[in-house]
Amino acid sequence: MTRLIFRRLALGLVTIACVYTLTFVMVITIPGNPFQQGDRTMAPEVEQALHARYDMDNNWLYFWQFLKGAAHFDFGPTYTYNDWTCAQVIGSALPVSVMLGLLAILIAVAIGVPIGVLSATRQNTWIDVSGLLFVLMGVSVPVFVTGSVLLTTFAVWLHVAPVGGWGTLAHLPLPAFTLALPFAAYIARLTRTGMLDALSADFVRTALAKGVSSRRVAWRHALKVAFLPVLSYLGPATAQAMTGSFVVEKVFGVPGLGQHFVNAALNLDSGLLLGSVLVFSAILVALNLLVDVLYAWLDPRISEAV
Amino acid sequence: MFSKVLLVCAAGLSLLAGAYALTSSEPRADFSYVNSYGIHTLDPARMSWTNDFRIALNIWEGLTSWDPRTMEPIGAAAEFPPEVSADGLTYTFTIRSDARWSNGDPVTPRDFVRGWRRGLEPGTATDYTFLIADNVVGAADYVSWRRDAVAALTTLSRLRDGWDVDADQARALSKQPYLGEVQTAFDEVRDPSEPLDPSTDGEPLARRLNDADLDFERLYANAYAAHVAALDRKFAEVGIEASGDGTLTVRLANPCPFFLDLTGFPVFLPCHQSVDLLRLSAAGSPITEEGLVVYDPQWTKPDYRREGYPGLVTNGPYRLASWTFKRRARLTVNPHHRLASDITCRTVDMLVYENISASIMAYEAGDVEFLPGMNVPYEHEIARLAQTGERPDFHLCTVLATYFFNFNCADQTVQGRPNPFVDARVRRAFALAVDREAVVNNVLMRGDRVATSFVPPDSIPGYDPPDGLRHDDDEARRLIADAGFPNGTGLPAIELLYTPNDERVCQAVARMWEDTLGARVELRCKESKTFAEDKANRAYMIARANWYADYGDPTTFLDCLTTGNGNNDSGYANPAYDDLLTEARLTRDPAARAGLLRRAEAILVEQDLPILPMLHYVSPIAIKPYVKGVYPNPRLWFPFRFIEVTR
Repeated sequence: MTRLIFRRLALGLVTIACVYTLTFVMVITIPGNPFQQGDRTMAPEVEQALHARYDMDNNWLYFWQFLKGAAHFDFGPTYTYNDWTCAQVIGSALPVSVMLGLLAILIAVAIGVPIGVLSATRQNTWIDVSGLLFVLMGVSVPVFVTGSVLLTTFAVWLHVAPVGGWGTLAHLPLPAFTLALPFAAYIARLTRTGMLDALSADFVRTALAKGVSSRRVAWRHALKVAFLPVLSYLGPATAQAMTGSFVVEKVFGVPGLGQHFVNAALNLDSGLLLGSVLVFSAILVALNLLVDVLYAWLDPRISEAV
Repeated sequence: MFSKVLLVCAAGLSLLAGAYALTSSEPRADFSYVNSYGIHTLDPARMSWTNDFRIALNIWEGLTSWDPRTMEPIGAAAEFPPEVSADGLTYTFTIRSDARWSNGDPVTPRDFVRGWRRGLEPGTATDYTFLIADNVVGAADYVSWRRDAVAALTTLSRLRDGWDVDADQARALSKQPYLGEVQTAFDEVRDPSEPLDPSTDGEPLARRLNDADLDFERLYANAYAAHVAALDRKFAEVGIEASGDGTLTVRLANPCPFFLDLTGFPVFLPCHQSVDLLRLSAAGSPITEEGLVVYDPQWTKPDYRREGYPGLVTNGPYRLASWTFKRRARLTVNPHHRLASDITCRTVDMLVYENISASIMAYEAGDVEFLPGMNVPYEHEIARLAQTGERPDFHLCTVLATYFFNFNCADQTVQGRPNPFVDARVRRAFALAVDREAVVNNVLMRGDRVATSFVPPDSIPGYDPPDGLRHDDDEARRLIADAGFPNGTGLPAIELLYTPNDERVCQAVARMWEDTLGARVELRCKESKTFAEDKANRAYMIARANWYADYGDPTTFLDCLTTGNGNNDSGYANPAYDDLLTEARLTRDPAARAGLLRRAEAILVEQDLPILPMLHYVSPIAIKPYVKGVYPNPRLWFPFRFIEVTR
């Protein structure tokens, strides 16, 4: 187990280093001046001095200085929001994204797994067909459509939820549910496939033959096996839900990290951009590691195989 | 295994609960409004966005302010009106004896000097330095002296640290007459057999500096010390003087009839002395290694404590109570302000909705009382609702702003090809061929006003802009033929540069130019950063542009097109135009001055056409009917102290 963790950790660091280097190269090759905000032209002397102040006049220096700062979660100043540091911006947005992502994944599991199990146990009935329809909808309808529909229905017509923003419990359900739908659909499909396989396995037939009720067989025996592919999907899914919620954030006005990531790229806010890329990739690597470890913990055969 | 899964879920839930504890809630404010873009900065010296001005001018107070109904200057932190000398060059402001900072300290003239100096310093100042530099005696000199020094110190610090410098950096060393020792070192670096002009020959100079075996450590230290020693002496030459008896004397370089309009502007706001506690610099010195004046950018936070800093102290009717990044800023009445007891709207929330449609929904749902902007794809529908009176709470504010096209006036494009727009007849033909009525009424449908002049008409008292050119296809064809391109033959492909927001307007005008003049127009839509770069490099023939007035005088528009002005993107240069503006600057009689400015503008919009004015913007705003005291005005200036919520 320890060996597995160390190996994954080392691999993860290499991944982050590659991502950082690639992003860095892209950041320095994009045309434009990050200090230029708005329409007016900046005095060239001041621009040079600012570049020098942040070591941006020398790419090598910038590359290492930024990395050195990043090790202490110091990503320098933002050029778009002068009064905040990148660390503050990321620090204020990260908990929001993490919370939204986690809640979305919990909702996705809570919806997706039962639908998958029911679809599999009632194969080819109307339940299965509706489950399939749900999967199709969830995967193919973009979140900005579901988000807008939910927003209009619950916030504007029924007045049971605020229109957007963040800060109270009432702000949570709509964006979390919207974000959860595509994941729920995918989880439902994975569960259904896994369940169909498991239900035709020998141990299920044995259990049924011993007189165990079919419901118990499905939920206690078959799901245990069928859940493993879902679990391995949960790692990348959680990371994706935490980091890829840009559209949902935009629709519901949620102050998460996704918007900063996109805006930083548009504004050439190099510190914020590199900072969020580092944080995003660290989350991805960490969650993948976590899933590997969990997997090994749940199914001890795995760690021996690795 | 299932218990294990449950354990994992429980861990997830507790993490969620932990994260949730980081968010909080507070009771609703008396008045809430939406700022879709968040705050860029609350540093008055640095800000340049209307949204930031709105907050700043409610929490700070300059020497003057504006009446939101008439936009006339009114008194604020100083007695009004100030004493003005007979020649109009010296203004003496007496700071009100009851002017107080939000911590109870009296506001002093020195606070204004501190604030204005921040507005001039490279490092703190940005877009609006020119408002001080162009008007106050000695200020422009100080700014260029500081900028040159910053450039030289940057170069020397790089050389000292062993890094190579580039041509621009090397050139910076040539402008330093007082850095005597650097000059000597320069002469050593120079090869006498190969004469070198340091102001132009950056490349060879950089090569030699990089190869030179000089004691840059010592050179840098001496130059730095010399500059620091001269700082306050040089600033004393700037015409801003605080006296012990509570007066601030400002000496102007030219009579400036709109000076009291300017003094309410953020760059002229005072700055509390505590801010100096957060100056970042090389040890024991007021400036950084590069020569910049830099402050810990966190000084604008109400809850920032460090090295005795008490958190943001301001002197306006309101103070900043809390500020959550990109979510909310809450203002409460400044208890020490002289009007504190008269203000009925005690708390104001600025809420951030990045998505403007969502902010409109929030308004409809009653979550906010005021939307100071509704720039959404269905703007035309909002304009219709406002114009027909179907929604009496929607208003269209005429903004002091013009949307126009720049013609590149250079004789060659950056690719070195001949540029047809060097000929004023071609520019005029292109201007005449555009049917702006059609663009405004059939394409945009936002209720904007058609523009034939650069300065919006009926918006600046005492000034009537010239008529400009109207749509006339026949005259356009005649002019283009005159210029040697009958029916467009011989015209190169016309590059039209714009940003994604201009798509519809640009397609429409391109079609008009194609139909009327036979021109072939290449539409080049660029993302705004790349657009800005192309524009700065003049890599275009025609480019979209807009200009928002900074103050209530025609020169805020007309100065943009003087020769060599930093905002003169078309590269236009006409000495007759410059002369008229200079003459106006020296004229004190308002009517004569307006006449001169009108003649200058007529050169722009009737004769030379370096720009093609398209429209003057309107901005839709929404105010709940139960809110009184929000006055729609062209500068979108909404002081909260006038607001009364009668819900």
